Parts: sequence; structure tokens; C-alpha cells
Amino acid sequence: MGNLFEHMGIERDRIHFSWISSAEATKFVDVVKEISDKVRALGPNKKLVKDYN
Amino acid sequence: MNTCINKIRELALELLDKKEVEKVIGFANGTIPLATSPIAITSKQDIEKLVFNSTCGLNLANYLRDQKGKIAVIAKGCDTRNIVTHIVENQIKRDQLFIIGVPCNGMIDQFKIAALFNDEIIEFSEDGDTLNIKSSLKEEKLYKKDYLRENCKVCMHKNPVIYDVLAMDLVEEQTLDNPYPDVDKIEAMDSDKKWQHFQDLTKNCIRCYACKNACPLCYCPTCFVDESSPQWVGKGQNKTDVNTFHYLRAFHCAGRCTDCGACVQACPMDINVRDFTRKLNKDSFEMFGWEAGLDITKRPPLDAYSPDDPDDFIK
Amino acid sequence: MKFITIDKKDWANGIGKSRKTYKLFGPVKDKNGFLIKSLEKDIMPEMDYPDSVMSAKSIIFPQTEKMLCTTLDESQEEHHIMKRVEMDNSPRAILGIRPYDAKAIQIVNLNFDTDDFRDPYWCDALNATTLIGLGINKPGPFDFSTSTGTGPFCEEGLDILMADLDDKYLAKILTDKGKAFMDVCEFEIKADEKESQALFDILRKEAEKNIKSHIDTDKLSEKTILELHDAPFWDDVAFSCINCGTCTFVCPTCWCFDIQDETKQKSSIRFRNWDTCMSSLFTRHATGHNPRATKTQRVRQRFMHKLKYFFDKYDQGIMCVGCGRCVKSCPVNIDIREVCNIMNTYKKQD
Repeated sequence: MGNLFEHMGIERDRIHFSWISSAEATKFVDVVKEISDKVRALGPNKKLVKDYN
Repeated sequence: MNTCINKIRELALELLDKKEVEKVIGFANGTIPLATSPIAITSKQDIEKLVFNSTCGLNLANYLRDQKGKIAVIAKGCDTRNIVTHIVENQIKRDQLFIIGVPCNGMIDQFKIAALFNDEIIEFSEDGDTLNIKSSLKEEKLYKKDYLRENCKVCMHKNPVIYDVLAMDLVEEQTLDNPYPDVDKIEAMDSDKKWQHFQDLTKNCIRCYACKNACPLCYCPTCFVDESSPQWVGKGQNKTDVNTFHYLRAFHCAGRCTDCGACVQACPMDINVRDFTRKLNKDSFEMFGWEAGLDITKRPPLDAYSPDDPDDFIK
Repeated sequence: MKFITIDKKDWANGIGKSRKTYKLFGPVKDKNGFLIKSLEKDIMPEMDYPDSVMSAKSIIFPQTEKMLCTTLDESQEEHHIMKRVEMDNSPRAILGIRPYDAKAIQIVNLNFDTDDFRDPYWCDALNATTLIGLGINKPGPFDFSTSTGTGPFCEEGLDILMADLDDKYLAKILTDKGKAFMDVCEFEIKADEKESQALFDILRKEAEKNIKSHIDTDKLSEKTILELHDAPFWDDVAFSCINCGTCTFVCPTCWCFDIQDETKQKSSIRFRNWDTCMSSLFTRHATGHNPRATKTQRVRQRFMHKLKYFFDKYDQGIMCVGCGRCVKSCPVNIDIREVCNIMNTYKKQD
């Protein structure tokens, strides 16, 4: 799915997959931090966003 | 390919005569040049209606579901791959079918041919590798090879993969170093260019759904585009909705698409909807070594788990 | 009736002048053939075109059209009250529309503008539109318009009918709207009325002779609805159908639409989309029951509506203008000419 999105022109760093156990709080924090950093770097997504006007 | 029609008719006649099948599903001549139409033959008098030529580009696997009794079907390489997919996905049983396999030298691209003329084509005939095409302004003799559909140009399964009888000798398969040059071209673009490519691709889409309805893979009783609760995608001509439809349609074909090209042939607006599915075919091949519809004993990759499945995308 | 001669050298200039008053639409080449599109800035219509893939109906009846809108923000005074969306109904003109497409617009008008109901979206758009037709000197092979009561020089529904005379156009002004358009373009070289009409007649006859494709509709009225409805040929007609909406979307006379509501945050809109009787969703009830659940039923509905129900209800011929677009675009080549002839010649077996 990530590959298809990337192929369509949605930046790869907007899609993340991870497996985190409920016991892995630190991993969860790290992953979320990494995701938000990467998405912030990309800026707001304008693709596949519906505009009514 | 012109000569195999006699064999097809002979086989069809025999099957109907001996009551081995209830009907034979094949192609009949259309009412306009460059058109053929799927037909079900049930009586011997209609056998002459069966034709087979380079315009039989739709996929007859699409006509096999929900039929009663035993049926015979005329099937090209790609049609047989979709028959295999149907069998694997429990849409039809192998023993309900009598497959008349037709090794295929490719189908022609009617839009590419139409583009050579400034007016409408009024006559089309085919003689071996030569296509004779006439409009009221001019006449052209074309080499079939130059006007093949894009999917036929990169086809590596011209011969039926499953059949009960062949209508002609097997043809030589081509091997390609790179079967996906079109995907590579898009992959080389940056995100914005890719996005623009697909925006331009679908700009004329009228959402008639000919692409999905011509596709043998699309057999859900209610398609996601028709669901209203929840409504997965808006129904209007909003660009986001139009593209969402195309992305999701493509993704539902992941690991199942045989690249038969019926979707492109059916599209009245000449949209190369294969640009969506081809990427998934390439990924299936590279990640799982998988080409759809080659073996009735194998489950498709997204339907099965193997410890070898690639998982480097999970962090 | 007034005739005007337009030298082709003056054409672009006159059309340019009209842009101050009118938003223009016309045939332009696209990837898969011609489409009737908005003519932005300096784009000129390609008048000498083989028929467009889609008809001109979308200019008056867009595939997706906003109808009503409201806000869900309860702090606003008129929240949740649906109001008509403002539309751009400034004058527009369609250049080079095929005569049968104009006739088709008249047919659709029978449905949208009646004594009891008036569809404001359609009516207002149609009022704002001037239809400038071009007679078809060389009809294409799929054109069977002479047997549907239209033809290559049909005037019905048009405001101006032009004839292409190689180096000039001869324009027949049919309505006040047509005259207003000509005035704005400053096309004013008058042509002799009698001579021009004679020329139109010659061109019409010549063009009509070139139409080789015909259908017969003379016996449709003799048969009862049930006779045709219960006829045995429908399964064969429908076998190849994939139930896409191509035929109905390319058809200039198909008028069905579906209404949808969508909301985003606090704003809500109601809009309509072209619908197609080929889709099973078209008739599916909220209960899940579907009176036209099979593809044969749906295919039958399309032809029965066009060739029988409409015929009986309005007594104005069939609901088909003979453009041949559905014949050409159908992915499986289901041909309305064949089906019409099957229906016309059908005799119930006792």
C-alpha cells in the first residue's frame, strides 16, 4: 500500500507501519516522534484532500 | 489467427452437437468496424456467428460466473489466467468449464488506429499480420505489430495456461529483460510529477465504471463505490473522489491482475487505467515472485502468509 | 427569418468580440477525440470536427452540479436551512453544436420544464445558453439521425443554424437569442433570404443522402408495452452488457440524476450527479429490494424507455436523436439500431 501511495505521488514518509506491543512504551514514543518529525518536514498534505469549491 | 476460427467453430459444433456443453461463449462480429461483442451460442445454427480476430480484446472470463450447466469458452492466454484466478477464488469450478484455448498474437489498440484518421473508420479487415483499414478519406495498410495494445506488447503469456483443447498450435513466448518500462518511467518522477501524471490521466474520467465492469476480477455483489453505509468514496466528479475510485479499484486488483487490458479497451475516454495496476503487478513480481493466474493450486500472495514475506516496511 | 454571411476570415474576430458578453463553449481536440469544452481565452472551436465523444448536454446539465448548501454551525442564524447555491447564469454560447444535440436538449427539456414542475437548475442554464449549430455536410457512418426525426440540418432547439460553404459560413438566425449573438459578434452582412434558403435545402438533401444508417420505428406504436417487455429477445440483447454507464453518459437525451448530500466540517452541500439505469443501484430500494436486479432488466429498461415508454408518453417520436455515440462508445458494441429494429419487427408468437 505504501508503495502504491508513493507511486501515486503521496510522499512515502506520510505512511508508516509498525508493530508495537502494549509493553513497549518507549518504542511507541520513538515511533510517534519519528513519524511526526517526518510529516512535519513534509508540511501539510494537499493531495487526496477533498475541496468543495 | 484468421484460420483458427474454423477450428473453433468445428470444436464448438461438436460440443453442442454431443450436448457436452449448454453453451459456447465466444466473440461475434460487431456492427461497426474494429468491434466484436461477447456472445453465448446455444444452438448449432448460430455457430457461424463465432469469430476470432485482433479486436477480441475483452476478457471472456468475465462472462463465466453465475452460469448454469457446463459451458465452453474461447480463451486467449490472459483469459485463461483469469479463469485460473476465478477457480482459485471459488468463482467457478474447473469441471464446469470446457476451455477452448487460443494462443494469441496480441490484440490491436483501436484508439491508436483511430488516431491515424481524421474521420470515422468505415471498414476493417485483417490478413495475417496486415490490417486493412478504410475511412471515407483514406485507406491504410498497417502492420499489426505496430498497433498492438500496450499490454499485448509486454505480454509473456500468449499461450493459454489451462485448456481442454487448443484451437491452433502454441505460439512462441517472448522473454523481456524488463517487462515494466512504463512503471519505471513513473517511478523515476518526483512526488509532485507523479501526482500530476495521475491527475492528467484521469481528467476526462466520466465514472462510467466500464474499466471495473469489464474486469473479471471485479465481481463483488456490491462494489465499494456503490456502498452507502459507510460511503467510502463520494460519487461526484470531484477530482479527489475520481482518483480515490481509481486507486482503490487498482488496489483491489493487487496480486490478481493478469494485465489482460480489458479495462483499457473498455474505457470510452481512452484512459490508460493500467498505469494504476501495473505498479502493483510489478511489486507482486518483485516482492513475491508472483504472476497472477498461472497455477490453480497456488493462493495469491495477499491471501496467504509465508515467513519469507518481505517485512522491511515495518519498523 | 434572416440570413447572414460570415467570411471565415472574419470569424475569429467576431467570436473574439462575443467573449465580452458570452462565455464560450465548443469542440476541441482531446486525447481520445473531440469534446465540447469551455473555450478559454484565445482557444477557437474546431468547427470541422467528427462528432464529439460526449454530447453538449453537460454544458447545461453538468455531470456533477451543486444544488443546495447550508451550514451545520449552530451559532449561525440559518443553520441547517438548505439554500440554493448561487450559479453562474451569465450568457453562454455553444459554438458548432451538432443539430441533433440541440434537438436532444429540447427532448430533455420535456422532462425538466413541465406545467407542473420546473427544474430551476436546468431551466436557468438553458435560458442563459445560445445554441449555435453547424449543419453537418458530411455525416459520419454512425449517424442515423434522419430516421429519428432530426437530421444533419435540423433546426429544432437551435438559435442559429450555420452552413459551411468552404470560405464562408451562411448563418440562419432562428431566434432572438441568435440575433443577439450575431449582433454582439458584429456579423451583419445580410444574405438574400430565398437564395440562402434554397442553398440550405440543397446542402440538407445532399447531407441526408450521405446518411447510410437507418432504423425503422413505424411499428413500435402498434405493440403494447407488455408485448415488448415480455419478448424473448432481451436475454440475448443483454448477454454481452457489462452494465457500465457509458451509453447513458454519452447519450444527449439521458436525463436521470441521483442526489447526494455531503458534509465537511460545518458545511454541507447537496448536489446531483448523472445517474445511469445500467447500475443496479439505480433502482435499489432502502429495503434492499431491487425491482431491476438483473442486467437483462436494466438493459431492457434503457431501450424500452427510449423507444417505447417515451414514445407512448409524449407522442413526439423516440427518445433518441440518432447521433450514434452509444453505438461507437459501447465497450461490447450493443447497438441501439439493431435493438430498435428487433423491437420494431417483433411479432408475438401465439
